Amino acid sequence: MSLTEQHDLRQQVTLLELVDRVLNKGVVLTGDVTLSVADVDLVYIGLRVLLASAATLEERQEAISAGSAQP
Amino acid sequence: MIHLYCVVLELEELPRVPGLDGAPLEHRRIDGFELVVSKTARELPEVSEEAVLRHASIVEELMARSRAVLPAQFGRAFADEDELSDAVREKAPELERSLSRVQGCLEFGLRVLGDRPADEHGSTGFSGSDYMHTRLAETRERNRLLQELHEPFTRLSRASARFGGASGELFQGAYLVPEENADAFRENVRRLETDNPELTVVCTGPWPPYTFAVEREGHP
Repeated sequence: MSLTEQHDLRQQVTLLELVDRVLNKGVVLTGDVTLSVADVDLVYIGLRVLLASAATLEERQEAISAGSAQP
Repeated sequence: MIHLYCVVLELEELPRVPGLDGAPLEHRRIDGFELVVSKTARELPEVSEEAVLRHASIVEELMARSRAVLPAQFGRAFADEDELSDAVREKAPELERSLSRVQGCLEFGLRVLGDRPADEHGSTGFSGSDYMHTRLAETRERNRLLQELHEPFTRLSRASARFGGASGELFQGAYLVPEENADAFRENVRRLETDNPELTVVCTGPWPPYTFAVEREGHP
């Protein structure tokens, strides 16, 4: 993996870690749940965070470097 | 509706940034706890990537201005002040313990990317029993390696959590690290990278203590 690819991968992982924390961690006081599973998926998609796996991230990076996808 | 960003300890001042939907941030005191909230006009606040990032950004700003924060999970809202007050009172002992646990600490995330051991043997030439013994040995070896990877970081942490990695990911962990250990933690990451050039090691943070804002099994 080139340095550029590593940099992009790290950025993606950082964004994934951030969204995971905000949506799935944190203190939960009772209250009304306002997020459905579909909403959560939309947020991940909107942020272009690849939820599936790190392997998918790597595949995406390969696709980007091959010029077949945009980051 | 009321949107909660976090429970804070000794907040110096509110950051001069708008909350969700542009609403002003508000500093509340309920039963001795400090909270930062904003009001949202909609019954169900819009869920968008912008809102998620705004929430995260405000929590970070609050962490920089207080002695401790317990970030709230995004996606819950309170109908009115009474509902918020009741929720705080109900969780008061846990909030007290959690504030004490995270005070003076930063959270780091660690992901190690690499291939899981491949199934090289297939079924040819192996009995079912041989196959199972081989896989068991591989699993034990992998668990031993992961424990070796994890332990140096746990020694520098007040609390830690390991998560099941997705495929292609060997390891995922989160660590609650006292501020004075942060440099040593980063040095451990560099050592891990240097000693294992075949692995991609991604350390993220410092984060507000999202993972450790709630009581988890194994916490001190």
